[in-house]
Amino acid sequence: MNSSPPSRRSVLRWGAGAAGVSALSALTGCGQTVGAARTTRQESTRPGQKVNLVFWTWVPMQKTVDLWNKTHPDIHVEMQTIPASTGGGYQKMFSALTAGNPPDLAQVEYQELPAFMLVNGLTDLSSYGADELRDKYVPWQWNQGVFGGRVHTIPQASGPMGLFYRQDLLAKWGIETPATWAEFEKAARVVKARGNGARLSAFNPNSPAWFAAMCWQRGARWVHTEGDTWIVGMNDDRSREVAEYWQRLVRDDLVFVEPDLSSGWYRQLQTGQVVTWIGPQWGDALLRGNAPGTKGKWRVAPLPQWKAGQNASANWGGASTAVLQGSRHPREALQFAHWINSDPKAVDLNIAVGYGWPAATGVFEGSALDKPDPFFGGQRYNDVFTASDRAIDTSWKWSPTTDADFAHLGDAFGAAMAGEGTFASALADAQKRAVDDLLAKGLKARSQS
Amino acid sequence: MVALLTIAALYFLLPVYWLVVASTKSSAGLFGSFGLWFSDSQWLHNLSQVFSYDDGVFWNWTWNSFLYAGIGGALATLLACAAGYALAVYRFRGREAVFKVVLAGVLLPSTALALPLYLLFSEVGLNNTYWAVLIPSMVSPFGVYLCRIYAEAAVPMEMLEAARVDGAGELRIFNTLVLRTMTPALVTVFLFQFVGIWNNYFLPLVMLSDDHKYPLTLGLTTWQSQADRHPELYQLTVGGAFLSILPLAAAMLVLQRFWRSGLTQGSVKG
Repeated sequence: MNSSPPSRRSVLRWGAGAAGVSALSALTGCGQTVGAARTTRQESTRPGQKVNLVFWTWVPMQKTVDLWNKTHPDIHVEMQTIPASTGGGYQKMFSALTAGNPPDLAQVEYQELPAFMLVNGLTDLSSYGADELRDKYVPWQWNQGVFGGRVHTIPQASGPMGLFYRQDLLAKWGIETPATWAEFEKAARVVKARGNGARLSAFNPNSPAWFAAMCWQRGARWVHTEGDTWIVGMNDDRSREVAEYWQRLVRDDLVFVEPDLSSGWYRQLQTGQVVTWIGPQWGDALLRGNAPGTKGKWRVAPLPQWKAGQNASANWGGASTAVLQGSRHPREALQFAHWINSDPKAVDLNIAVGYGWPAATGVFEGSALDKPDPFFGGQRYNDVFTASDRAIDTSWKWSPTTDADFAHLGDAFGAAMAGEGTFASALADAQKRAVDDLLAKGLKARSQS
Repeated sequence: MVALLTIAALYFLLPVYWLVVASTKSSAGLFGSFGLWFSDSQWLHNLSQVFSYDDGVFWNWTWNSFLYAGIGGALATLLACAAGYALAVYRFRGREAVFKVVLAGVLLPSTALALPLYLLFSEVGLNNTYWAVLIPSMVSPFGVYLCRIYAEAAVPMEMLEAARVDGAGELRIFNTLVLRTMTPALVTVFLFQFVGIWNNYFLPLVMLSDDHKYPLTLGLTTWQSQADRHPELYQLTVGGAFLSILPLAAAMLVLQRFWRSGLTQGSVKG
C-alpha cells in the first residue's frame, strides 16, 4: 500500500453526468464502503523501458490484445480472463481495489460504474487527456463514464435494442410488423388466437436490466441527482405505465412467462412457439447459434413506440474499459483503452468475438457488421441498430446500488407473479428498498415525489 | 426397502445421467431436444472441442485442479492426522481448548474466510500464485476432528507404549505405526478434502486472476459466461463439466474399499 487513501470527502464529490449537472456533494456521509487502498500515479519510464499492463476482462479479446502487443512493442498488455460481471468479476475487482493491487485495466459495465465511483475505484482520465477523445465515441455511451465533468472510463460497446421477429410466421397469420406497443398487443392477441399454442413473445419477470431498458425507452429516469441528494424514480408514471402494459399481457396470457436466454426459451425459438424477441443487437449471435434451423426467417425492426411516429430507443447491456484506481501507468493504459475500442482493426477483431455494438463512431461502416446477413433473410439488419443507437435517450443514469436494485426488482416481480401484488406495486416496493440502500451507504436519498 | 433405495439412487443418478446425455449434444440440440434422450450424437466432436478450445486451456485447468486437490488434499490429510493423533494421545495443558477452537473452525464457512485471506496474501505478495490456493487448502478442521475421534478408538495405548519401550522415537511411531493404523480415517479425510478443493469456487475466484492458474470450476465458469455471445460454449461447458466429474467418480470407486474396511474396524474397536 504505497499511498494513503485520499479523504472520502474529496474522493466522493462527483457528479452524475456531463449534461451540465454540477459536481455532487452527495457522497459525503460516513458510508460503510471501503475505498481503494492505492491511488493512481504515473510512474516515469526510462527510454526504451517496456511498460507492462494487466487487463481483466471476460470478453474473449485475446486476439485484439495480441495485435496491440505486436504493434506496440513498448507497452505490453497481459489479458487475464475473469468470470463475467456479477458472476464474480466485480467481486474480484473490488477485492483487488481494497487490497491495493488491482489490474491497470478492467472491463466494467455502464450500470456498474457508479458503484466503482463510490469506492473511488476509477482513475480520473481527464487528468491524462481523455477529454480530447470525446468526439470519437457515441455521445450517450461517452456520458456514461463522465462524473462531475471528469472522464472516468472509455466506452467499449453497448446493446441498442430492436424487435427480432419471425417474418414468415407473422405473414402467415396476417400480422403487420408492430410499430407501436398498442399494435404489439393486438398482434399478441392474434397470435394467441391463430398461433396454435404459439405466443408473440416471452416476458421474463426476472430480467431487471431488460425491464429498465423498457422504462428507459418510455422516458423514465430511475435515478437522478438534485444537489447532494439521490432521487429514485423507479415508480414514476412512465415506469408504471410500462409495468401495467406487461401486466396486462401476462394476465391475458398473451406472452409466455419465462426467462429468455434459457433452455426452454431456446427450444421455443427453434420450434416457432416464440415469434418475436425484444432484444439487443448482441442477441443476433444467440438466435444464430441456438436456433440454426430458423435461418432466413428472422428480420429485425425498430422497437415498437409508445406513440406512433416517435423514435425512442433503449439499450440493454454495455461495457467500458476502465483504468482502475492504483495503476502506475495511467497514460499508457488510457492509450490502450482508446485503441482497443476505436482502432478499426481492433474493432473488427472485437466484433468477430461478439463484443457488442461499437461505442466508437465511424467504425461501423465497412465493418463485419455492415453487410446483409442470410440468417436475417439478407436484411442489412444492423442498419436498424445503428438508428436505434442514435435514438437512445442520453440522460439515463445508473445508481451506485444498481446490483441491489436489480435484486430487489427481481424479487418483487417474482412475488407479483406468485400473486402477491402487481408489477406496479413491485416497482413501488423496489423503489423504497433502493432508497434504503442508498441511505445505508451513507448517501442522501429520497423517493421521487 | 429396496424400492425406496432404488428411488433414492435414481434421484441422485438422474442429474449425472442428464449430464452424460447432454454432453453428446450440440448447443442447438441441448435446447431443442428432449433432455433425457440422445439426439444429435457428436460426443467425440464435443470432447475434442473441449480439449482444443483456446489452445487447450482445458488441460491446464484439469492439471491445476489435480494439483490443488491432490497436493492440498494429501497435505491436509497429513496435518489433520498429526493434529488429531496428538490431541487424542498426548496430555497437555489447553488440549481441550485447542480442540474446541478447531471444532469452531468446522462451523466457519470457508467462503467467509476467502476475502480476509485474500487481503493477507496480497500483503505478502502471494495472490495470483499457486500457493494462494494451496496453502488455505491444507487446513481441514473437520479432518482434525475426525482423526482425533478415530485415533482415540483405533490407536491402542499399549501399542504405543510397547513401541516406546522398544526405543522408537515419537516421530518414528507416528510414521510407521500410527499412519498405518489410521489409514481408513485418512482415506476418508483425503476424500472429503479432495472433493472439497476440487469443487471449491470462491477461494480461487478471489485469489487467482491468471486464467492459466484456474481450476476447472473457475475455468468452466468463464466459458459459461461467454456462452451468451458464443453459443457453442454451452456444449463445451456441459462437455467440460462431464469430464470434470470423472476424476471424482474414479476417486470414490478406488478409495471406497479402504473406507468400508475402516468403518468396520472402527465399530469393532469402538
